[in-house]
Amino acid sequence: MTALHTARAHPSALTQWWVLTARFIKPTLRNGELALTVASSVVFTAGFYVPLSKVMVNATKFVSSSYAQYIMPLVALQAIVFAAISTAFRAATDSRQGINRRFGTMPIAPLTPVAARIGAAAYRCSVALAVAMACGHVIGFRFHRGTVYIVGFCALVIVIGVLLSFAADLVGTGSRNPEAMMPLLILPPLIFGLLSVGVQPVQQFPHWIQPVVRNQPISQFVVALRALAGDAAPFAGPVTWQVLAPTLAWLVGMAVILVPASALVLSRRS
Amino acid sequence: MATMVRERITVGDVARSYPENSPRVLIPQTVVQTKRLLVRWSRDPVTLIETLVLPIMFLLTLNIVLGQLISQTTGHSGLYGTVPMNALAAAINGSSIGAVGLIGERTNGLLRRLWVVPVHRASGVLSRILAEAVRILMTTLVVLGAGLLLGFRFTQGAPATLVWLAIPLIFGMAFATLITMVALYTAKTFLLEGVTLVHILAVVFSTGFLPVDQYPRWIQPVVAHQPMTYAIEAMRGLSLGGPVRTPLVATLLWSVGIAAVCVVPMLIGYRRASTR
Repeated sequence: MTALHTARAHPSALTQWWVLTARFIKPTLRNGELALTVASSVVFTAGFYVPLSKVMVNATKFVSSSYAQYIMPLVALQAIVFAAISTAFRAATDSRQGINRRFGTMPIAPLTPVAARIGAAAYRCSVALAVAMACGHVIGFRFHRGTVYIVGFCALVIVIGVLLSFAADLVGTGSRNPEAMMPLLILPPLIFGLLSVGVQPVQQFPHWIQPVVRNQPISQFVVALRALAGDAAPFAGPVTWQVLAPTLAWLVGMAVILVPASALVLSRRS
Repeated sequence: MATMVRERITVGDVARSYPENSPRVLIPQTVVQTKRLLVRWSRDPVTLIETLVLPIMFLLTLNIVLGQLISQTTGHSGLYGTVPMNALAAAINGSSIGAVGLIGERTNGLLRRLWVVPVHRASGVLSRILAEAVRILMTTLVVLGAGLLLGFRFTQGAPATLVWLAIPLIFGMAFATLITMVALYTAKTFLLEGVTLVHILAVVFSTGFLPVDQYPRWIQPVVAHQPMTYAIEAMRGLSLGGPVRTPLVATLLWSVGIAAVCVVPMLIGYRRASTR
């Protein structure tokens, strides 16, 4: 009996987490998912910048040094939303196939598989963000503040991506058919993105919809990201609490709803 | 008990008088399978939202964001471009639902089952084509209804209106062939994400999004000659007035071309999915 115990390996929670995370990441190199993530960032950059750069010049010339500088926060957000949702849905498909129940019978902490899925989401969001930033550099987007602000910009994007993937993960795990839900979760962010200050200043929208445009989360995220990225001399806004508070409030609010919801969904599944 | 026996005899008679590959059984069997697909879709809230609600939301969004700009630069409402564009985009996007359903039926063995029972072999594919046609017609009518409420009008008479309605059908069927073929040869998630990305590109680089002269010069040839633009321009001509023949012929050529390239691999893939 004691011999059996000593023979059995006791990996730490961190090792377990890493094994499960690697299990999500490794296939993406082979099955084309990494290529799709890269493609999605390119598509969002080209899809927003190329058609709109000419028509939006007049609308944005008093608020931004170039349209590339203006549109990039929204492009980065769209790219990570896409990455987050896709990753989460693959994870959810996986959990539906019964592997979560299997994990439930094994000596793994209940939150480790969830943390692994979040790790995989963070990985894919990072790839999407890196490619989006490279594309942004090509069209003329530049960071105008110090390193701290660049780190802040990237961290904010990744945090938004991780929270969204967490939400999508729950929807996917809770619903019977994750694949069928996916198109449903990809078009609405596009609609929200177009109806935000990421595309054009709020004054350009019809009056009746301006309050919605100004206060919806994507707009708030874009405002915060734009402040962190900075801009050429006359256009740069300050990074103040007033600018960042709505974003942080949205994120904290999302976390406050998601954590108990995840407890509910995950306990029901296992 | 007596009726059951009699029914069994009738069924047996029919089976004996018409072999399973007879055209006589093809039509009723296709109808039954089409109904099956339509009932399934109509009971799935996700499918309903994606085919009936999201296109309208996207139409409203484009109208809010770009409507004023388009009417300023072109002199008439942007709806004559955005309504066709949303009908066409919904036709393309929705066929991924059919494709995912098909893959699901390959996985759970329904296709294999239908292959070994005495059902006409063509009825499976035909019923999917018919069901797609019904779905595309429904989305087109819903988008059109929303457009009519916003101020879209047909000014070219009844025949032009009918041709307008037929274009998303032809275009959507061609793309359904393409998407089904891709679905039969790739992974599910790859398919869905790929379709979404292509759909976004097709939408933002078409004349339903912005007039062609508003794009940077180097991309203008791509915008002007891609299939979505031709279909939108044909539909614009058929509703608002303007050139119809050239864009209509180009739309048909694109659709026939896509379908011609994809139909044989699609049928081979379907057979393989049914017999594996």
